[in-house]
Amino acid sequence: MKIPISLTVNGDKYDVMVSPLSKLVDVLRDDLLITGPKKGCAEGECGACTVIMDGKPVSSCLVLAPQADGKEITTIEGLEREDGTLDPIQEEFMNSAAIQCGYCSPGMMIMSKALLMVNPHPTEEEVRDALSGNLCRCTGYQQIVDAVMAAAEKERGGE
Amino acid sequence: MAENKGFNCIGKSVAASGAWEKATGRAQYVPDMKLPGMLYGKMLRSPYAHARIVNIDTSKAEALEGVKAVATIKDTPQVNFGPMGTNEDWYIFAKDKVRFIGDEVAAVAAIDEATAEAALDLIEVTYEELPAVFDMEEAMKEGSPVINEKWPDNIASQKHFGQGDIEAGFAEADLIVEEEFYTNEVYQSYMETMCALVRPEKGSRLTMWVPIQIANKARLVYAKALGISPEDIRLIKPFMGGGFGAKFETNIHLACAVLARKTGRPVKMINSRHEDFAAGNPRVPIKYRVKMGFKKDGTCTAKYMHLVGNNGCRTVYGPAIMSTACYRIDALYKFPNVKVDGYLTYTNTVPTGCFRGFGNAQSIFMIERMMDIAAEKLGLRPEEIRKVNAMTPNFTNPHGWRVGTCGLTESIDAVLEAAQNRPKTEVSPGKLRGIGMACCNHVSGNRGFFPTFDGSSSLIRIAEDGKITVFHGECDMGQGQDTVFAQIAAEELGAKFSDVRVAEQDSQISPWGLGSYATRGTTVGGNGIIAGCKAAKKILFEEAGAMLGVDADQLDSRESIIFWKRRPEKSLTFSEVGAHYVFNHAGSCIIGNGYYRTGDPLPDPKTSYGNVSPAYIFGCHMAEVEIDTLTGHVDVVNYWAAHDSGRPINPTLLRGQIEGGIGMGLGWALWEDMIIKDGKVLNDGFLDYRIPGTVDMPRMTTIFIETDEPNGPFGAKGIGEAAINPVAPAIVNAVCNALGVHFNELPVTPARILAALKTRNKHQVI
Repeated sequence: MKIPISLTVNGDKYDVMVSPLSKLVDVLRDDLLITGPKKGCAEGECGACTVIMDGKPVSSCLVLAPQADGKEITTIEGLEREDGTLDPIQEEFMNSAAIQCGYCSPGMMIMSKALLMVNPHPTEEEVRDALSGNLCRCTGYQQIVDAVMAAAEKERGGE
Repeated sequence: MAENKGFNCIGKSVAASGAWEKATGRAQYVPDMKLPGMLYGKMLRSPYAHARIVNIDTSKAEALEGVKAVATIKDTPQVNFGPMGTNEDWYIFAKDKVRFIGDEVAAVAAIDEATAEAALDLIEVTYEELPAVFDMEEAMKEGSPVINEKWPDNIASQKHFGQGDIEAGFAEADLIVEEEFYTNEVYQSYMETMCALVRPEKGSRLTMWVPIQIANKARLVYAKALGISPEDIRLIKPFMGGGFGAKFETNIHLACAVLARKTGRPVKMINSRHEDFAAGNPRVPIKYRVKMGFKKDGTCTAKYMHLVGNNGCRTVYGPAIMSTACYRIDALYKFPNVKVDGYLTYTNTVPTGCFRGFGNAQSIFMIERMMDIAAEKLGLRPEEIRKVNAMTPNFTNPHGWRVGTCGLTESIDAVLEAAQNRPKTEVSPGKLRGIGMACCNHVSGNRGFFPTFDGSSSLIRIAEDGKITVFHGECDMGQGQDTVFAQIAAEELGAKFSDVRVAEQDSQISPWGLGSYATRGTTVGGNGIIAGCKAAKKILFEEAGAMLGVDADQLDSRESIIFWKRRPEKSLTFSEVGAHYVFNHAGSCIIGNGYYRTGDPLPDPKTSYGNVSPAYIFGCHMAEVEIDTLTGHVDVVNYWAAHDSGRPINPTLLRGQIEGGIGMGLGWALWEDMIIKDGKVLNDGFLDYRIPGTVDMPRMTTIFIETDEPNGPFGAKGIGEAAINPVAPAIVNAVCNALGVHFNELPVTPARILAALKTRNKHQVI
């Protein structure tokens, strides 16, 4: 049996019929074809599926689809403005080579965005803490941490 | 040191190709793809390590609404096949018996994932359990259960060879050191699990979208398994979520193909993370018994190794990995007399395969621990014993490997200097600090992995607008190969970097490349790109010469402008020449088709004598650790890595490769371990099998020892595997240095450290 939910993803409202036990990550990826959030473990251990839900970062594989009813979701696709301007986080991830295979990157960038939303001037330690649940096997994290610090710096410059 | 040759594009840290697609969420990986009419596949895996299959009843599963097909061995040609010609011990699905927990028994295709999963529970398999063997040494003993009939002694492969005279070498030694080592089984932990999307086409043809490091070789193996011709398989490798050696041939690709053929519809299959742990291609664990002789000054006089590796129940690349473990370190140090006896055994455990380092990482752990142990006994410093034995440039080793450029000694000096200059910090009470070093080498393009040929090729197309497309058959899995190829192409052609694009790898259009392994991409693949560019440039310059009324050899190009060397103002753009060519050749683009062969005959299969690689890479790492004596927790507080990778093509990406290798090696050194009990992987998820996170990693300092490798493109060599090779021994050496205890087994967990601290304290009391 399926139930109706409606959710706003990256500013667009969607009405979807979901199985009550389905997860937000599968609704996004399979039903809405918003495939930025990746599924690395489906158990909340890797952070690849991180999205921002009502202002807070969540592992979308741990959110039941009905829990997303009426919620505002931002995925990696939502960081880019309509005119194609990228978020400083995206720019810096590209410039600092913080992206290798790219599979963890959407979750990593969304988690970084969630951090900078509440803490625009983080220390390196705070960045590492915030990203401690997002696994990356390619980079050793240094270029990721540097990218987040650079993005924060850039946003500060723009203030 | 490399001289500055005034490169335009080489040595620049341009952003990686594909970075924009990945940064914006546009990059499509196989799990992201959805085709019209697509079904979802799921695998039924064996719960037994060794059991006869008495019967499989699929009728209930087939009757479930939404199920479109259930496939078993009966739906396949039932031929033996495998990645290595010497050990073709695979079937697509278990035939007559299962050999490990996770073995592929059947697969279901259904309209959605939940239905496919529900159907798995309805497949009734009657098993009759067989005695199983899990230990790699136990397996070789008389009377052990036979896993594969063709190998009744459970020995999948063995190597016995040597060079020089080890008896004489031991006789002249002042010190003999004998030790045992164990390098454990670890999982590559790429973020994208193994998966496939297969669409059946007319007749026997298939289109397969798979993340794979060796697309073309896999096509040969898959064609044999499916009973079709390789050209019947169009294989496309889209964006790929890491590989690190694991993403070679795997049965999930074939099961998906069988389901697609049976249903006539596209089918997508994705391993769950648990399945991937249970049935991926983890690292070959190896047990070593080693005896080495040394002179007082540290010079090694002889080395004997006895090693046994665990192949798991069927062969991925275990024999090649075991063979590598036997002797690749003989190009790291100048060992005059060497002998080795190597065995690889079948056990009822998950098949093991390639993992960054390919057997050399295991042996480097062993040899770098040996070096520290010997140094301590000889009263030498760690760097002294290494430098006295270190490989040097232009040296032929006892196996006939011709080392060209070699910055090993410089790497040792560089990390030492960097470490000496570290800021001194107070050590907190209850903590112990230690520092350790480890050297590494690796091939850059091992020859003979694919015995039929060795080399690389490319197609370079210059279109009517002057834009360039690079077609290659290698494999970017995230390491930056496409970026490096684009930089090499732009440099060779004298083109604007922004005008160069790299085509997605698609067997319908891409050249027959061998793929990503043996750190061969930059060296071998890069030379293939240069060859294609030279061919394209020849056509381009001839056309331009005709247009300008100048001989082609009087022309040069820069930033996509071709000019007369004598009077540079006499020039044409790539687009002017490209358009002229295309419209005067009825639409035919400028296409350069070029190839690079690595040359020499392959090493002798019996003696292993012969040069295996066009270039060799070197490096040295140092780690500083702080150990909490109460909890046994190790904090890596400082890390320095120096590498000779020839001339860096993209320094930022090169640094990223090294830092990533350090991360991976740090996990291996300190806690990563597949805990396998009676054939079952107990920690089959990221909660119980932790990989390093942001807070586990120190800030790392990387140093490039630039050399100009004559066999590399623009002097470059590879990096990928070399980056992980010295990490575990550097960290473990640091731990040993802090505690004054020797650890010869990976990983060095807090439990082992606490146990060692206890015995150490006891000894102190005594």
